[in-house]
Amino acid sequence: MTTTQSRTDELLIAHLLRRAGFGGTAAELQKFSKIDYEDAVDQLLNAVDTTSLPQDLIRRYHIDQSDLRTRGSSAGNWLYRMVTTDAPFIEKMNLFWHRVFATGQTKLIQGKAMSTHLDMLRANGLGKFDDLLLALSKDPAMILWLDNQDNHKDSINENYGREILELFSMGVGNYTEEDIKECSRAFTGWTVENTDYMALKMRNNTMRPYGYVNWQFKFDPDDHDDGEKTFLGETGNFNGEDVIALICKNPATAGFIARHLYHYFVADELPVPQWPHFPPINAQAIEVMTHAYFESGYSIKAMLRALFLSDSFKSQSSWNARVKSPIELVVGTVRLAGGYDSPTSDVYAHIAASGYMGQDIYAPPSVEGWMGGADWISTGSMVTRVNFAGEIVSNLENNGVQELISTIRSTAGNSPTADSLVNASLVSLGKLQVSDGTLEGLVEFAAQNIELSNPTDEAIASLLQLIVSTREYQFV
Amino acid sequence: MTTANSQTKNKLNYVDTIGFGADVGGRGFHIPVDLSIRPDGRIFAVNRSPMHRLGIRVGICDVHHGWYHEFGSDGTGDGQFVSPTAITHGPDDRVYIADEELNRITVYNPDGKFISKWGEQGSDPGQISGPAGLKFTSNGDLLLVDHLNNRIQRLTSNGDYISHFGSEGSGNGEFNLPWGIDTDANDNIYVADWRNDRIQRFADDGTFIDQYGTSGREEGKLDRPSDVAVDQDGFIYVADWGNQRVQMFDSNWNFQQSIRGAATVSPWAQEYLNANADEAEARTRFNSFIEVDATEPHEISSRVESYLWDPTAIEIDPEGRLIITDSLRHRLQVYQRSTE
Repeated sequence: MTTTQSRTDELLIAHLLRRAGFGGTAAELQKFSKIDYEDAVDQLLNAVDTTSLPQDLIRRYHIDQSDLRTRGSSAGNWLYRMVTTDAPFIEKMNLFWHRVFATGQTKLIQGKAMSTHLDMLRANGLGKFDDLLLALSKDPAMILWLDNQDNHKDSINENYGREILELFSMGVGNYTEEDIKECSRAFTGWTVENTDYMALKMRNNTMRPYGYVNWQFKFDPDDHDDGEKTFLGETGNFNGEDVIALICKNPATAGFIARHLYHYFVADELPVPQWPHFPPINAQAIEVMTHAYFESGYSIKAMLRALFLSDSFKSQSSWNARVKSPIELVVGTVRLAGGYDSPTSDVYAHIAASGYMGQDIYAPPSVEGWMGGADWISTGSMVTRVNFAGEIVSNLENNGVQELISTIRSTAGNSPTADSLVNASLVSLGKLQVSDGTLEGLVEFAAQNIELSNPTDEAIASLLQLIVSTREYQFV
Repeated sequence: MTTANSQTKNKLNYVDTIGFGADVGGRGFHIPVDLSIRPDGRIFAVNRSPMHRLGIRVGICDVHHGWYHEFGSDGTGDGQFVSPTAITHGPDDRVYIADEELNRITVYNPDGKFISKWGEQGSDPGQISGPAGLKFTSNGDLLLVDHLNNRIQRLTSNGDYISHFGSEGSGNGEFNLPWGIDTDANDNIYVADWRNDRIQRFADDGTFIDQYGTSGREEGKLDRPSDVAVDQDGFIYVADWGNQRVQMFDSNWNFQQSIRGAATVSPWAQEYLNANADEAEARTRFNSFIEVDATEPHEISSRVESYLWDPTAIEIDPEGRLIITDSLRHRLQVYQRSTE
């Protein structure tokens, strides 16, 4: 481990914390300040959450987050974790998978199933892809989202069989319609306990008589087609596990997942439906991850390690080049302002704000998830983004903001100049990099509006408010 | 009479289930978090219903499934509440409801008509922060669990300060976010010391007597107990919230039994099913007691409809029945102790 860090590594680690987390807080930047980039990658990949607000506290004060019936409750519960965890990469990965395996409470109705789905992602999202696909195929939320409870041995329902190939693993162009049918046959009998009653309660959208009963996977051997199947060119009495094994050893799967990872962590790709018709924008990055996938026995973590150490990820041209998703903006800003130290009704306002900006967590617009990229920005969403971030970082009643200001004072020194105050503020906001023009404007604002000999908290807060309204703050 | 010190094996028997989910008001409950039972046996259950604000109210029923009426609603006006946590009857038959968000106690007549309200947020004597439990002593003083101040305050029924005991900590007489409270026939005070995973017992003047509880999932251990009740024979019942069960002890804390829940379809629930034939038909193939492939009690309860799911409060009725608010299942489960 190195004990001194180059300026390049500092900025690179700040880039890593933005992409693989929610942006480096002052504490996180400090934590990584003594190690080199590769060590930082490994620490991030192997981090374990130790600081999330305990669920017992949340459940006592937000009893709605105990039964998790409504989307505000279930999504709010996830927001607590995103904001208070010291292992933000895990939650970033959960958001990644939530986008790829887009399931929605809008259809499923009960939020507890969504939270159970999230737990499944958290347990498997960085592991081996075949384990993840198996857990996904047994996940009750996914089963009911894609109607696999209606997939019977004497009358198949292709919904899950089609989407696992098209959206979750291989991508269009790498399998045939016959493969879809055979895949669906392999997943017959994969359902949930008390199938009829659970599916009816979901369709009727009723919590009566006694609230929702959380779903549990059930394999029904009497409803499973155990006949011979031919799938991806191989023949046998395949069940769901066999099909997943065949999917995961196929090079198309490695390439498809690698392209998704690149799309999410490095640079916006074309929308997924166009992937069959256009090659990846960075074939070399895909190749690096594909190699890691097979070398490691399908490990997602290994793919990400290869990606984060690749030139394509580290290249300065990829820094601050992606538009923050609404949830990234909300979580990152709240974390910068100190997060939540106890249960608070703010969590509902904050999760709602993400929705107003265009991203309702647990309610993706379709099975293809959110498009992202420039789609996040519209006139209305931009106003909401700026107002939200500005209100959070200028709220002087927030202890976290007070700490932020204290850090800025300390960094700017006893006799701050407009330059030092602006630079200290940019560092405190995750080593935010801005253009020369923006920097000039911020310095001018500080010089004209802040009494530099004795800058007040309100004045520094107004500078923070201006910084989070810049173009640069919208990027990650 | 069986006493709580006897060596005879005591058993809790499931009796009945009252209520069903009603999140827009009317007969039924929505996230009932506490209850109080009048001497005539009428049960007053206060519903928290945070995401369905029409469900916030007090419902009055009895163990025979009789429904009387409801009172109170969401809001900050007189007679309203925002985050109700506790309800109790005073010796004057008045009803007292605590609101942990508004930091106030509202007083109603027996019919639910608003009489008065009091409470000021703070940590000085007489001020309150997060009232979580209420119980009148035999001499008419009100014990208030002032949970964010980690103390029990003794007040007059008008809210005037008399005394207090307790402070933050885990030692004898200290608390970590206490919740429910009860007294026994000898005027001893029992407090569910929620985040210390124990029940503490005090004399009437607040002097520490003893405490029971270690953290864990095994029988006799506790995980975030939310309430405690003591019957006329001295048996102690603990709402073991984190373990999703109710445990019974004798007065020397000898473990007697743990119940996980055995709810059945109540008459109100059956009426709902009768009016929804498709659900009633599908329910004929419904098995509540599936074999769950999870180990965490809260998760298990979410999948087994008959089990208790967040049992927050327990009370003993005049007939000695144990009545439990099965909060997330929007119902009350009723048990009765017997001697084997």
